[in-house]
Formats: sequence, structure tokens, C-alpha cells
Amino acid sequence: MKNFFRKVAFGIGPNEEVPSDPLNWALSQINEIPDLSWQGKIFSEKELRKHYRNYVYNDRKVLRKKYKDDKTLYKTYKDLLRHETGQKFWESLEISIRHNEGINSQNPVLAKLWMFWGNFFAISEKDMLAYYSTGPYQREIIRPNLNQTFEKMVYDATTSWAMIHHLDNSESAGPKSVTASQEWRRRKKRPATINENHARELLELHTVSPKAGYTQEDVIQLAYIMTGWQQRWSKQKLETGNVWFNSEYHQPGKKNVLGKEYKSGKKSLAVVIKDLVNHPNCRDFVADRLCKFLITDEPTKQMKQPIIDAFKKSDGFLPEIHKAVIKVAFENNNKFKKFQTPENWFIQVAKIGDLQWPPSPKVMDSYELGTKPSRKQRSPERLLRNLGHHPYRAKQPNGWPDHSDEWISPELLIRRLVYAKLSHSFSKIENNNNEYYENIVQKNFDNPGKIMKYLNQKNRTIEKQTLLFNHPEFLKS
Amino acid sequence: MKITRRDFLKTTALTSLYFAGFAAPGYTNSGTKKNLVVIMLRGGMDGLCAIPIKGDKNFEKLRNKINLDRTLSLSSDFDLHPALKTFKSLWDQNQSAAVHATNIPYTGRSHFDGQNLMESGGKIPYQEKTGWLGRGMKIAGLTGNGLALALPMPLLIRGVPMNNNYFPVGHKLPYPSTLKIIQEAYKQYDEKLLSENLEIIQTRELSNTTSDESWVLASNAANELSKTDGPRVAVFEVDGFDTHAAQGGTNGAHADCLSDYDNIVRSLKSSMTKEAFDNTLILTLTEFGRTIKQNSGNGTEHGYGSAVLMAGGLVKKAQVHADWPGLKRKELFEGRDLNSTIDARSIYASAMSTVFDLDFKRIQKDVFWGENLQNLSDKLFKV
Repeated sequence: MKNFFRKVAFGIGPNEEVPSDPLNWALSQINEIPDLSWQGKIFSEKELRKHYRNYVYNDRKVLRKKYKDDKTLYKTYKDLLRHETGQKFWESLEISIRHNEGINSQNPVLAKLWMFWGNFFAISEKDMLAYYSTGPYQREIIRPNLNQTFEKMVYDATTSWAMIHHLDNSESAGPKSVTASQEWRRRKKRPATINENHARELLELHTVSPKAGYTQEDVIQLAYIMTGWQQRWSKQKLETGNVWFNSEYHQPGKKNVLGKEYKSGKKSLAVVIKDLVNHPNCRDFVADRLCKFLITDEPTKQMKQPIIDAFKKSDGFLPEIHKAVIKVAFENNNKFKKFQTPENWFIQVAKIGDLQWPPSPKVMDSYELGTKPSRKQRSPERLLRNLGHHPYRAKQPNGWPDHSDEWISPELLIRRLVYAKLSHSFSKIENNNNEYYENIVQKNFDNPGKIMKYLNQKNRTIEKQTLLFNHPEFLKS
Repeated sequence: MKITRRDFLKTTALTSLYFAGFAAPGYTNSGTKKNLVVIMLRGGMDGLCAIPIKGDKNFEKLRNKINLDRTLSLSSDFDLHPALKTFKSLWDQNQSAAVHATNIPYTGRSHFDGQNLMESGGKIPYQEKTGWLGRGMKIAGLTGNGLALALPMPLLIRGVPMNNNYFPVGHKLPYPSTLKIIQEAYKQYDEKLLSENLEIIQTRELSNTTSDESWVLASNAANELSKTDGPRVAVFEVDGFDTHAAQGGTNGAHADCLSDYDNIVRSLKSSMTKEAFDNTLILTLTEFGRTIKQNSGNGTEHGYGSAVLMAGGLVKKAQVHADWPGLKRKELFEGRDLNSTIDARSIYASAMSTVFDLDFKRIQKDVFWGENLQNLSDKLFKV
């Protein structure tokens, strides 16, 4: 039963009480969205986007011209520019904030769901997004929506600067739009065309999924509805201006998606999203993804049904959907154990192992813009990259997979072995004794005797740590 | 090393290597083992920088700041970038060749969409969730002996179940006695997949703390590819071809990238057995070429047509195969880029047909959805 604390969160730390009512413990964490528990500085998405702007502007408009004949000087000054805009630091700060929610906050269940939705509406590795934008996008767009409706979350994610950039919607122009007929386009010999990326992912990944049976024509029609939603471009800000609806890019006329007609104009995006989230396939898809994340690679119909029902009954109110999936996870707790993805696993290692992780707010706040971050300040980003599961650097817009097979390979298993061992160097001296292991094993396993017997085959704590964090019961919960 | 039936991946900031497609049991008894190596050149490789056309005044004028002041001669029509020394020495032995004015059918000029398509082989970005090489391996029956790469596995070889990888973690493994205890726990809990993978980790010959220089990676790859029971597919990645500035000529930023490619080929050639190299095909893959005209930063912008470099014993003969579209303004794509007159997927389909001993039509149908591709096997490869 104690694996439930790892299944829906990250386990029980050595100084925490084991909740006597696990289900209510979990359910009580998801109604409110408290402030982030990180005690250090947190930067707004807008501030970080300014750094994004400064980097791309100065690289493209200044350095490339100034050092056009000298690749070495160009590289040197580009590196300086990276540091002036904090490029090597923000990601690590964001990961620290994220991990701190899982490890030190009062609502680790909410933190785990936050991570789920961040990956559901994934921003994959593209341009400078991971450096400056994906962390704040997950904080400011995804997290505040965890107690709103799914519909609102879809709308906010769809119209966010990061997603618009990620899926190229700024490039999408209606072939009959005002801009399409403009002279400069004819001169450039580049006809205005739609870019379907965003529309396709809105259907495939963010709402109804391919099971809904939409056609290529539906994708095109949805792309028409979405034309005009773009970054406000200017000579100074380049592509980093706010998202707006540019009616000059909008395809005029009525559109038809999945058999329903939509009017021309800005408002249709909200209308079509409303219809998509109320499509039966959308409920099924969300239920399926949630079950796959928390419970099993192969969710059954019985597992999904209560979640689908909660979705329907609450009109997609996320706390109700979350409660439903947590109840299902609780009921199936012993029957289904889910292999934890590398990042989830590492957060559990950090929490249960009482590691000095993430780096403290003091360490992170000592970073000065313009300087190279210290090894310690960069460690979160580096560690996750080396674990093979960096949350802001998925390779494709469908995010990181939830399926266990994708995460069981020699190379990824090597990382569990190596990082379980290395985690000892983040341990606190006062925990360097057998009582400590007895305490955490007692709190996190139903069969502490068996686990201790396994650990006691080795004497040194570094070996115990390696054994514990690679035990099958630890890897799966 | 015992047959691990696995693949592997290695990576550095600049270069990654993936292995796939171990020979099926029994395969080694019948016929020669043939290997396919794909080197992905990320960022947009400038085909006209690697293989410039001879005596085109218009071209020389458009690139007066980044022209090569020194080249190696390939043929009456084409020169070679001086960084491609190994390529040239193989050329002299009829073991390297190129296809010019070719690219995947993608004209959108976005790295991310383009790289997705060069790996998936499709026409709509992100629509396909598998790669053309993975699908090819699957119909070649390399399923189950292929490998899943997870430090992000490149899309290119997705599509074969049970993939595997190698990537030097930079730290030593726990003691064997500790691993043994973990192995016993896996067995006790009947965790077959975990157990099997841990077995591979303990028995394979690949170092976790090795250097990540690209030539070392290639040398490791060469050893594995030379084994009759080793992998049949290896995939490298070289970054950095996106030279918007200081692309330079003979010694510029693009030259460094071409050098990275050439070093991989050199290392493969020198570390493979003769028999293995004679039965290997090494192809490049990129998302697009670059504009003909230099920009104000003495670099080039994202373009369309590029070139595919080919090396190894399965290359038919030293040649630059092209249906040359010309470089006059009206001959360029959208007035600015080298056109593509050969769908690069025809080259890859023909290569898979040659290396995997599969009917071209089957690859065309099952890997590339029956799209209109040419069978170039006779022209380009030893069949």
C-alpha cells in the first residue's frame, strides 16, 4: 500500500509522518493551487522572454555581421552573449523550482500532476525554447490551470507564446487572407500558405486524438480557424512579441471541422476548442493518458470509465478529473505497478534519500547575470540530460513517452545504477547510518523486513543506497 | 562479446552514434553481412560547399566572400572541399561517390520540421512516429534484434521494437557484487526485461567512461560492425551545419563540420576489417541545403537542394550522380536555392534494398507509402 505515495507523488521523506489516510491525503492536495514553495527568486515568463529576445536579436543582427570573417571571434562573442542573457542558467533554476515542488512542498501530488500536464502539452526541444521559455510556460500557463477546466487549459496552452512558437502558427497564413494578396509576397515568390503543425497537434495530442477519425481536411479547416494567432513581430522584438490575433493573416469565410461549421474571426478558436474538449474521444484520450502516467501501460476500460464520467459530469473541471484518477490509482494500487520514468525516479531518490537536492535557493540566487553559472548551478539541467529525461527537451511535440518499454534499455538502466550510487555524494552526513535506512524503508515499503535484508547484504551506505534505489519495488510503484 | 542482440548509441555534444539491427540468428551462416551507416548532418549541409561546381561564374560571384580558395578535384564538373580528405582517398579507390542536387521533398526551411521529415521519410512534419530506417529494418526482419534508443532515440530508427543503446555515462558502474544482488532481486520479482538488460550491461564490452571524440565513437562502431554477429546499422549525428555566419571558405565553420564527417569516415575505414568495409555503405542525411548567395554575415541561409555523400565498399564507382538543374536565377528553387531534381528518399530506399537484400518495390510500398521513387540501386551501388 505504501507504494501509493510514490505512485501518485514521490514517496515519504525521512522526517515526514506516514499519512494515516493515504487516499484523502492525496485528494486534499488538488483543489487549490498554492504559491510555489521555492524560496528563491522566480522570474516571470515575460522577463525571461526579454532575455530570449536579447539573445536572438544580438546574435542575428549584431554578431553575425560583426564577426562574419572570423569564426573564432564569432564563437567567443556568442558565448559571452549566452552568459549575458543567462542562457546556461534559467533551465536549471526552473528545474530546481519544479523538483522542489515534488520534494519539499505540501502538495507533491499536485506537483506530479503538474509534470503530467506539462508533458501532455509538451514544448519539445526547438530553437531557444528550453533555455528561456519552457520552464516559465509550465509555471505560468500549465500550473495555474490545474484547478480550472480542461477547456481553459487547452485554450491557454494553445494561445501561449511558447506553443505558438513551438508549432509555427505565426507562419500560418490563410491563402485568401489579406496578407496573401499583398505585393511583397508575390515579389518574394512565396505564396501565403497555412502551416498545419499547430492544428494537427491540437487535434492529435491536445484534444480528441486520432481515434476521433478526423480527416486531413479537418486539419486544414482547423488550421484556417487558427490563422492569425501569432507572435506580434517587430524589428526590435523580432518573434518575441506577445501573441495576438492578426486578422490580416486570417482565412476569411466559414470553416468546417468534424462536421460543425465555424464563423470567420478571432472568436472561433475558443468555440472550436469548446467543441473539441466536449468530444467523447477527448474524454477517453485524457483518461487514457492519465492512467498510463500513473497506473499502467495498458489501461482497462473499467479504469478509464470513472475518469470519463467525472470529466463529463464536471464539464472537464480538472480537480474532479484528478480526484477520479487518484481514486482509480488507489483502488488498483496493489494490482498495477507503474515503472517510474527517470525524472520521477530521481525526484523520489532525492526525497526519500533526503538528498541535498535541488541546489538551494541560496546557491541559485547567487548567480549573476553575465557570468558563467557554476557547476552546481548548472547541475539540474546536466543531470536530467544525462539521465535521458530532460522535461524541456523532448524530441517531438508528443513529449516523453509513458510506456515502460521506452525506458527500459541498458543505457537507461546504467543511469539508474550510476545515479543511485552518485546520489550518495548528495547525502547528508547525519543520514550515514543504518537507522536512517530502517526509517525510510519503514515509511515507504509494506515489507520493510524483506527490503532491509536485501540492503544488509552490503555494509557501506553507498552500496545500500545503490541497492535500495534499484530494487524492483522502488523502480515500480 | 556474446551476441547481445542489442544496439548501441554513443554521443557527445557534437556527435552521436546509434547502432541497430543485429543479425538474426543463423544469418551469419548464409551470405555476407552487409552494413548500413547513416550520418545525419544536422543544421542543413551546404552541398555546394562540400562539392562545388566548376567554372560557374554566376556561382563564384554570388559567393565571392566564401568561395573555396583551394579544392580537390573530383571530376570535370565538380570539385571537393579540402576538408574531405578521406572522402577523396576513397574516391581514388572507387569507394566514394555523391548524388548532387538532391534532397528530401521538403521546402519549408525549418530545421525542426525538416529534421523530423528527413528521419521519418514522410511529407508532413510530426505525422509519422517511426523512421524510414526503422521501418526498413522491420521489413528486413531485423525486428526484435533491433534496438530501442532512449537517450533520446533518433526517430530515424524508430519502428523496430526492442531497441537498445550505448551512451557513455561518464561514471563507473557499481561493483559487480552489488550488481549481482540487484540481478537476483530482478529474478526474484520475475522482472524479465530488467534482468535481461542488466545481463547485457554486465557482459558487454563497451566502456561507460570512454572518450567521446567522434573518431573514438566511430572506431567503436567499426569494431562492432565488423563482428559477424554485431549490429548491421549504425547512425551518427553531427551538429553545427547551420552556418548563418562566418561559414567561411576553406577554413570556415562549415569546413569544421565537414571535417567531423570526414573523421568519422576515416575512423570507420581504418578500424573496420577489410571484409566489413567492403560490405558497408555510409550515407549522409540532412534536412536541406543552403542558399546559393552568401548573406551579409558571410554565411548562408536555409535552402533546399543539397548533396548526399556516399562511401564504403558497396559504392558502385567514384561519381557525382546528378541531373544538374543549373544555377541561373530562373533555374533556382524560388529564385534562391539549388533545386532538388532527385528525391533523396530514392537513394535511401535503393541503399536499403541493396544492404538489406530487399526488393526495391517492397521498400517503396512499405517504407515510403508507395510514393514515386526511382530505383537507383544499379546506378549507385554494387548489387
